[in-house]
Amino acid sequence: MTRANNEKGRYRMNATNRHLGALLAALAVVVAAGPARAAISAQCPADTDGMDTDGDGNAGNDNVCRHLIASDGYADMADGRLLYVFGFSEILSGEPLDMAVMNHTLSANAPAPTMAFREGQRVYLTLSNAGFMVRPDLFDPHSVHWHGFPNAAPIFDGMPDSTVTIKMDASQPYFYSVVDPGTYLYHCHVEATEHIQMGMVGQLYVQPKQNMLPAGTVLGSFTHRRGQKYGYNDGDGSSRYDVEVALQLDSFDPDFHDASESVQPLPFALMEDRYFLINGRGYPDTVRRGPMPNSFDGQLSQKIDAQVRARRGQRVLLRLSNLSVTEHFTVTLQGIPMHVVGEDARLLRGPTGLDLSYDTTSVTLGGGETADVILDTTGVVPGTYFLYTTNLNFLSNDAEDNGGMMTEVVILG
Amino acid sequence: MTKHTTSMGGAMLLALALASFPAPARGAIPGVEGPSFSLTARAGFVSTPEGGSIYSWGYADGAGLMQYPGPSLLVDEGDVVTVTLSNELPVNVSIVFPGQQGVTALGGVPGALTSEVEPGGTPVTYQFTAARPGTYQYFTGTDTQLGVEMGLVGALIVRSATAGWAYGHADGAYDREFLVLETEMDPIIHELVETGRIAEVDFTAYRPVYWFLNGRSAPDTMVPAGAQWFPHQPYSCMPMSHPGDRLLVRLINAGRGLHPFHTHGQHMRIIAQDGRLLESAPGAGADLSFLRFTTTVAPGGTEDAIYSWTGDNLGWDVYGHRPGDPLEPGEYALDHGKPFPVIMPDPKDLEPGPYYAGSPFLGVAGYRPPVAGTSPNAHAGYVFMWHSHKEYEMVNNDTPPGGMMTMLIVEHPDVPVMEM
Repeated sequence: MTRANNEKGRYRMNATNRHLGALLAALAVVVAAGPARAAISAQCPADTDGMDTDGDGNAGNDNVCRHLIASDGYADMADGRLLYVFGFSEILSGEPLDMAVMNHTLSANAPAPTMAFREGQRVYLTLSNAGFMVRPDLFDPHSVHWHGFPNAAPIFDGMPDSTVTIKMDASQPYFYSVVDPGTYLYHCHVEATEHIQMGMVGQLYVQPKQNMLPAGTVLGSFTHRRGQKYGYNDGDGSSRYDVEVALQLDSFDPDFHDASESVQPLPFALMEDRYFLINGRGYPDTVRRGPMPNSFDGQLSQKIDAQVRARRGQRVLLRLSNLSVTEHFTVTLQGIPMHVVGEDARLLRGPTGLDLSYDTTSVTLGGGETADVILDTTGVVPGTYFLYTTNLNFLSNDAEDNGGMMTEVVILG
Repeated sequence: MTKHTTSMGGAMLLALALASFPAPARGAIPGVEGPSFSLTARAGFVSTPEGGSIYSWGYADGAGLMQYPGPSLLVDEGDVVTVTLSNELPVNVSIVFPGQQGVTALGGVPGALTSEVEPGGTPVTYQFTAARPGTYQYFTGTDTQLGVEMGLVGALIVRSATAGWAYGHADGAYDREFLVLETEMDPIIHELVETGRIAEVDFTAYRPVYWFLNGRSAPDTMVPAGAQWFPHQPYSCMPMSHPGDRLLVRLINAGRGLHPFHTHGQHMRIIAQDGRLLESAPGAGADLSFLRFTTTVAPGGTEDAIYSWTGDNLGWDVYGHRPGDPLEPGEYALDHGKPFPVIMPDPKDLEPGPYYAGSPFLGVAGYRPPVAGTSPNAHAGYVFMWHSHKEYEMVNNDTPPGGMMTMLIVEHPDVPVMEM
């Protein structure tokens, strides 16, 4: 009873804020129309080195440009509760940059747009900062931390203490020469506990050059065929897959999000997550296919569903990661064996080549850990299987049971 | 519970500390040399960065002050180790040595796990042969849940017979070694114990709000070892490196929680767990070792990791060389002279961090040159955070940032690496 009253109180507060937000949006338009300044820009040099570094046969396409913009926004939890979030959205090629701040105000995606790259690419990633519409009192800079990037240099590592981070209405370039395939993740590292809890998280993975081998290439006892894909440069086809699905585990504390939205002291010491998410959604939203509009303004803020679909006999690569700031999670999959071939963006193989991959019925990940899991569906009866956390108390959307960290693996006949 | 102490600026503390304390030997883990130790369990206060002071128990080196964590016990493989424990606490205490076999205990009174020392009672002498090199811990075997929470825990390091190797194989070779001992505290329990209300301690309500590396919470982890304003917390946690150095990171989870420990800058190669090289057969080397960018050490467990930041393969020259310049020692030659790939924005658009020297290059100061004696990164090194990625542990009792976090500084090859 008390709790319900509290929540109503919070929503009243939120409504006030949203009103304020609209006012500020109007103000922002005025500001945007004011004197010109550097604001939103991107660096995307052409690939003119004449070398085909990604191995796709084209020497002129190895530079890849992506453009993220940080802002705030809203996301719906599976029990219908709307949460205020911080996050990234993507400025797509061709979008007018002079309108980007306005167009990407209150546009946070939960989770952030997925970054999928190929080994050998040179990535020019731009991060712009649109500011927080609902929290104009905050002047937070932002960053991109490519978590796990080998031999990172601080300037592109996004860790605010040791480098620079980008202020509002400005843009910062990041550069990555992509050498090591595997499953990574990314997040904002500014005020990391707060910004990650608020949702500034995303998936990031790198596909190996082995995908680009000519058909008929012999890899030990395995022969590569055109179009076959691998998790790693395994040299033997052991990480081969037909279907690739990235699933990021995360969790939110609604009290923290509400405190942020309503300009209250943030409960760091009392942080306790009550929404348990895969790709930013709790079950059953995890299996609601395609982008999902939020109930605040209808934006497609939760773009990535978490349903896995494959035909019987196909091999599925699950790119699992965890970005919770409070919990380790164990996930299991009933009825389909899990074979772990990689961890933390490295093939599970010892320094002398010993095979360290393993079969399991559960995978445990702490925040900032990843695993690559192959599902071989040979002989699996078509139907719907469930991938869910065995931390059974996390199978909930706050007070609502039978939800939370769960999704479906659908095997088609 | 909390006695408030004066809080000063970190940079100033650092400068003071550097002035006051001579550097110990290169890359050595500070501790007490064995094989014979005399420890006393007594009480003291653990300082926290936001100004708190928490009543704690710990092991002291002989007549010294209580330490959190207890003295790192440094012994050599094959040593017959003797630890004599006295007790000035109001409860019984003891020591158990997980991973050691044939531990004998003389004196004291019988306890559930081992012989115990009563308050002010006759000491117990524990003895064992440190048969296998590796990273271990020790803690009280008496009311362990309360005792370890109160601080009765420490590291035991058994050095291998070959200097510079963690284990009996070159796969464990290292240039510098560092201890990373993870613990946490719930100050409510400490307050109850301090005020004589042990009976009211309720671990079902346990909620730690402080997280420590080597007994300090960030940013105190980065204040040099032995700083006099941490009388009960003599150890820092400040890894330092040159490019290409092999750092042996001795990770110990000496608390009860799970902490996904993330090293910015590079993967760790996990070469050993619980004091055993990850090898398929004796003498095979660490052929079962694996690479992690985040590792969760089990409570009560240890891991040894080799970390080596080289700066290879970035596609640009981290030193900012022109093509004709000479190579630095160990520099990745294929990137030599390659230009910085992007144009950095106007500094007015950027928020600089305290370790940022104003240039993207290693050892090169730019528009924010470090101020001698006060900058935490005096030589424009590359600074990488090492921290729990359970990020609510990067907080000091509701005050972020802090907690289970520290920084690695990789210095330019020309700059001597300071021992912290």
